[in-house]
Amino acid sequence: MKRMARVAILLSLVEKLENNGSWCGETHIQKATYFLQQMLESDLGHDFILYKHGPYSFDLSEELGSLRADNLLKVVPQNPYGPRMLPGRAWADLKETFPKTINRYAEKIAFLGHWLGNKNVAELEKLATALYVTKELQVEERQRAEKIHALKSHVSLEEAQTTLIELDRQMDAARGLLAAA
Amino acid sequence: MTKRFHEIRDPVAVFVKIDTAEREVLNSVPVQRLRHIHQLALTYLVYPGATHRRFEHSLGVLHLASRVFDVITDEENRHEGCRDIFPATDELRYWRRVLRMAALCHDIGHLPFSHAAEELLPDKKTHEDLTLVLIKSPEMERLWNSLTPPLKSDHIAKLALGPKELPTATFTSWEAILAEIITGNAFGVDRIDYLLRDSLHAGVAYGKFDHYRLIDTLRILPSGENHQSEPTLGVEAGGLHSAEALILARHFMFTQLYCHPVRRIYDIHLKEFLLATLPGGKYSTDIHSHLQITDAEITTEIRKAAADEKNPGHLPALTICNRGHYRLLYERNPDDIKVNLESVKMIYEAVSAEFGAETVRRDQYSKNAGIIDFPVLTSMNGIVSSWVLSEIIPTIPSIVVDSVFISPMVKEKAVRWLAENKKDIIQRMEEEEDQ
Repeated sequence: MKRMARVAILLSLVEKLENNGSWCGETHIQKATYFLQQMLESDLGHDFILYKHGPYSFDLSEELGSLRADNLLKVVPQNPYGPRMLPGRAWADLKETFPKTINRYAEKIAFLGHWLGNKNVAELEKLATALYVTKELQVEERQRAEKIHALKSHVSLEEAQTTLIELDRQMDAARGLLAAA
Repeated sequence: MTKRFHEIRDPVAVFVKIDTAEREVLNSVPVQRLRHIHQLALTYLVYPGATHRRFEHSLGVLHLASRVFDVITDEENRHEGCRDIFPATDELRYWRRVLRMAALCHDIGHLPFSHAAEELLPDKKTHEDLTLVLIKSPEMERLWNSLTPPLKSDHIAKLALGPKELPTATFTSWEAILAEIITGNAFGVDRIDYLLRDSLHAGVAYGKFDHYRLIDTLRILPSGENHQSEPTLGVEAGGLHSAEALILARHFMFTQLYCHPVRRIYDIHLKEFLLATLPGGKYSTDIHSHLQITDAEITTEIRKAAADEKNPGHLPALTICNRGHYRLLYERNPDDIKVNLESVKMIYEAVSAEFGAETVRRDQYSKNAGIIDFPVLTSMNGIVSSWVLSEIIPTIPSIVVDSVFISPMVKEKAVRWLAENKKDIIQRMEEEEDQ
C-alpha cells in the first residue's frame, strides 16, 4: 500500500478515536495502531517493540511528526495530560481523495474506536502488552498473566488476569469481523 | 604515589575525570579509533571549524551522564512516586560505572564519516549493531571483567543503545531510565553534548543553552494519566526554561546546521563514492575490518580517485574535491503541499525525466520529526505535561526535509524549466485502484 493511502487509514483511526471520546495522545494512537496491525491484520508498515507503556513504534512516532508538518495532524496542548493529536486542516482533502481506501477499513476502525475510545493510557498499556505477550511472544495461555507482570512490574497479577479476559473477548470479536470481511 | 584519577581537558566539559581502570577502556582500540571519525562527516566543507571527532564527544557524554546520574539518584531529588525504582546504595555504584562505560562506548560502532553512508551496511544493519558486537567482543569483555566490580556487557549494551536499538532485550524500569540518560529523545546526554559541541566547533551559536541548570533540575517522575505508567525523566518547574532552550537549540541546529542543504548533498556524494568503491558497494560487518577503516583511509581514497579517471569512484570523488556538489533546485514548501502532499516526489520524477536521472538527486529526512513531551514537577508537587506548562514547546515545528538537487552543469536551464512547468507537474492527488 502506498504511503498516502496508509496515512488516510491512520488518520481515519485518529478521527474515530476522537469521536469516541479518546484523549488522543500519542500513546492512544500508538496502541490503537498496534491493535489495527496485530489484531485486525491491517499492515500499515510500522514496526513495534516492547517499550515504555507497552508496544511502541519509533517510526510511527516520526510519521506523526511528519503528518504534523504537512498539516494533516494538529497537536493541541490540553490540561491535564498534555498534547492531543487530532486530524489537521489538510485531512478533509485527503479524506476526499481516498474514499475507497477509507471505506475498506471502516469496520475495523469503527470496532477499535468503539472499544478503545474511552481507555486511558494505563488501560491501553495493559491491553497492548497483553496482545504482545499473546501474539508476538506466543506465551502459553496459562503463563500469560505472569509474563505481563514480569514485563511490567507495576501491573499486578490480578490486573493482568482481568486484562487478559477482556483481550480474549475482543480477539474473538475481531476474528468474527475478519471472517465476515 | 600512583595517580588514581586522570583529568582530560575538553572545550565543552572543561575537565573530564576518569579513573585508572576506566582509562584502560578509553585506551582500547575501538574507543581510540573514534579519534579518526569526524562527528559531522563532511560538514567541514561548509562550516570549516566542524572538524571535531567522535572521541571527544564520547568523553563529553561520559561526563554529562555521570552528572545526570548523581542528580537523579540524590536522596533529596527522589520523587515519592518513584522510590521503588532505585536499587540499593551499593548497587548504585555498580550502575554508575556501567552508565559511564556505556556512555564512553555508545558510538564505537560508527562507520567512517559517522552517519553519512550508514545505509551501505548489509542487511539493513546499523552502526548500533556494530556497537553491540564490539561491546561484547573478547577484547572489551576482558576490560569489563578487569573492573571492580566486573561489569556485565549486557548491561553496558542496554544502556549504550537503549530499547529502540535492542528491541529483543527486556529492560527493567531502572535500566530503561539509565538508557534514557544516554539515548533519550528529550534529555539524552548524547544529544545535549552534540548540540553544545557541534555548535561550538561549527561556530553556530544556536546550539547553546544552560545545561548546568537543566541537569540540576532533572528528576525521575511518574508519567501517564493518573501517574500510573512507567517513570520517565522530567524536570522540576525551575528547569523548564532550560528544557525549552534545549528543544529550541535542537530545532535551530537541525534547521541551520544538520539539514543545511550543502551539508546534506555532500553526504549523498560521499555515499555514491563509497557505493562505487567498496567491495560489492557495501561496508564489511567484520569487526576486524571495521576497526581498520576510518575517515583517514577514506579521505585518502577520495583524493586518489579524484586524480584517476579510471577509478570507479572518480566522478563523486571529483565532485567532493572540486566543490562541484549538486545545487538545491527545489524544496518542500507549504503552497505546493496544499496542492499535493507528494509534490517533491512529482518534481523529482519530472526533472529526472527531463534532464536525466544522473543529474538529479533527492534528499529526504524526517528522523527527528517526533513530538517531545516530558513531565514537569510543579512547585505545588503536582506533575504536569510540558505541553501544558510551556508556551514555547507547542510552537516548535516538526523538522522534515525533502529536497531536489541538480547538477551545476544544468542548473540554470533546470531552474528556468521548472519555473515554466511547475504548475503542470504538481497535480492534485488521485486514489489508485490498488490502494
